[in-house]
Amino acid sequence: MTETLIATIVSGLLLGSLYALMASGLSLVWTTLGVFNFAHGALMTFGAFVAWTVAEAWGLGLLAGAVAGVGAAALAGVLIELLLVRPFYGHRNMLLITVMTTLAAMIILQNGAQVIWGARLKQLPPIVEGNVSIFGAVVSAHEALIIVIAPLVLLLLWWFASTTRTGRSLRAVGQNQDSAALIGIDVPRAFSLAFGLSAALAGLTGVLLGSIRFITPSLGAEPLVKAMIVVIFGGLGSLGASAGAAFVIGMLEAFLVLWLGLYWTPSILFLLLILVLVFRPNGLFGRANA
Amino acid sequence: MTRTRIAAILVAFALLALVPLVVTDSYVRHLFIIAFIYAVVASNWDLSLGYTGLFNFGHLTFFGVGVYTAAILAETVELSPWAAILCGGITAALAALLISAPVARLKGIYVVLVTFAFSQLAMQVVLSQSDITGGAEGIVRIPYLQVGDYRFIRDYNLAYYYTAFAMLCVSTVFLLAVVASPFGKSLRALRDNPDYAASRGISVARQRIMSLVLSAVFTGIAGGFYAIYLRVASPEVFGFGTLSLALSMVLIGGVGTIIGPVLAALFLTFLTEAMAGIRGLEDARFIVVALAMILVLRLAPGGSIEMLSRLRLGAGFRSRRETTDTAGNRS
Repeated sequence: MTETLIATIVSGLLLGSLYALMASGLSLVWTTLGVFNFAHGALMTFGAFVAWTVAEAWGLGLLAGAVAGVGAAALAGVLIELLLVRPFYGHRNMLLITVMTTLAAMIILQNGAQVIWGARLKQLPPIVEGNVSIFGAVVSAHEALIIVIAPLVLLLLWWFASTTRTGRSLRAVGQNQDSAALIGIDVPRAFSLAFGLSAALAGLTGVLLGSIRFITPSLGAEPLVKAMIVVIFGGLGSLGASAGAAFVIGMLEAFLVLWLGLYWTPSILFLLLILVLVFRPNGLFGRANA
Repeated sequence: MTRTRIAAILVAFALLALVPLVVTDSYVRHLFIIAFIYAVVASNWDLSLGYTGLFNFGHLTFFGVGVYTAAILAETVELSPWAAILCGGITAALAALLISAPVARLKGIYVVLVTFAFSQLAMQVVLSQSDITGGAEGIVRIPYLQVGDYRFIRDYNLAYYYTAFAMLCVSTVFLLAVVASPFGKSLRALRDNPDYAASRGISVARQRIMSLVLSAVFTGIAGGFYAIYLRVASPEVFGFGTLSLALSMVLIGGVGTIIGPVLAALFLTFLTEAMAGIRGLEDARFIVVALAMILVLRLAPGGSIEMLSRLRLGAGFRSRRETTDTAGNRS
C-alpha cells in the first residue's frame, strides 16, 4: 500500500516537473511580451529530434546531443520571435495575431519534423542507467534525476529573473515597455532573449522527455495541452504560480490515474478545469486584472 | 452588404448548383463535397471569431462532436442516418453551451486557452472511451444515406453533392440572416466597443453564449454529414491539422465576412488535395497552408475579400491599421 502511494507521489512529482518546465517557459514569454507561444510544444519536439540526431544518428553522445537540442530549440525560438512576432508589436490585435502566427509556426515545425525525420519511432538513451529505490518504491534513475533537475532549473530561472541585471530588465520590459526603453533597456533584445530562453527550456524538456517517451512529430502536443491547463489553473502572470500549479496538476493527475484509471482522468481533469473557471475566471491563483 | 455583392454571391451559388452538369467525375465531386463541409465549418467559425470577436479556438470541437454523435447514433444505436446528422447539430449546440459557461466570463488569452484545451480534452475523452468511440481506430462502416432504395453514392456522388450544397446554402443564409439581424449588430457592437455596448444594455455573457451556440449548430450538422458521407469517424478531426486548415480558411477568406471563408474553403480544399496528390508533398501541404496564413496576416489582415474590394474601390490609401479595424477581431 505504502509502495503504491510512494510510486504515485513519485509519478506525480515527475509529471509536475515536466509540466513546470513547460509552463514556466510559456509564462516567461507571456510576462515579458504578452504573447502566448503556441509553438512551445513543437519547439520541445524539435529539441528532442535534434538531440537524437546528434546523439544517436551521428553517435556524438548524449551530452553533445543535449547541448545541440537545447541550442537548436533556442535558435528556433529567437527566429520565431524575429519573423512571426516582432512584425506585429503594438498592433491592436497583437494577442490574437500572435496566437495565429505561433500556431502556424507549430504546424510548420511539426510537419517539418515529419518531413525531415519521418514517422519512425526514436528514443534517446537515459542520462543515467539503472533504478533507484525511494522508500521502497523502485523508480528509474533517469526519472529520479528529472525530479531533481526540474526544481533546480526553476530555481535558477527564478534567481536569474529576480536578481540579475538582465533578468530584471526582462521583468521591467514586461511591466512597462516605454519606461524600460527610457531607462536604457534594449527592448527588442529583451524580447529575443525571453523567447530564446523560453525555447531553450522547451528544448531541455524535450531532451529529458525523449528517453521516457518515443520521439514523434507530435511529442510536444500533449505536454503543451497539459501546460495550458496548468497556466489556466495558475494564471500566466508569475513563474511561482505556474510552477506551483504544475505540481498540483501533476500530483492530481497521478492520483486520479491511481483512483479512477487512465480512462476517466482526462475527463475529470477537464471538469475540474471548467468548475475552477466558472468560480475563479482568472485561475486558481490568478489576480483579478491578470 | 452592397447590392452588387449580393448579386455576385447569388451568381456564384447558381454556378455551384450547375457544377454537376459539367463535372461528372466522382473524385472531383468528392472534393466539392469536402469543400462544402469545410465552408460550413469555416463560415460558422467566422460568426464567433470574426463577428463576436470571441477568441474561440475550440470551434472544431463542435465539428468533432457532430462527427461522433452521428457515427455513434447511426452505427451503434442504428438510428436513421438522416436523424443522426441532425442530432449532430443538437449535441454540438449542447457542447457549445457547456464551454460557454466559463468562456462567457473570461478575457483575452484565457478564452484562447480554455477553448483550445476543450478541443484537446474532447479528443482525449474520445481516445479513452474506446468502448463507445472506437478509440484511436475510430468508427468505421457507418450506414450510408439513402432515400427509398436510392443510395446516395450512385450516379457519381450526385445526391451527396446536392445534399452538401443544400446544407451550405441553408447555413450561409442562416449566418447572413443572423449577422444582419439586431442580434448580429449587437455582436459587432460588443466586438468594436465592448464598454459602450455594455453600457447600452447589451449583455456580454449572453451574446457570447448565443453566438457560440448558434455557430455550433450547422458546424455539428456538417460534422454529422462528414461522418455519414465518409462512413468513418476518427479522432483526427480534433487535431492541429484540421484546426489549422479551417483557421486558414477563415483568415485567408477574410475575418468577419461570412462569404470570404466559404470561398477560401473551396479554394484551399482543392489546393491541399492537389498537393496531397504530388509525391513528397503529402506532409508539406500543411506547411504551405501555414505559410499562407502568415503571409495573409502580414500583408492583408482583412483577408482576400478585403483585398479584392480594396482593389475595386480604389481605397488603397486606407492605412493598414484601419483595414484591420474593419476586419475587427478583438475581445
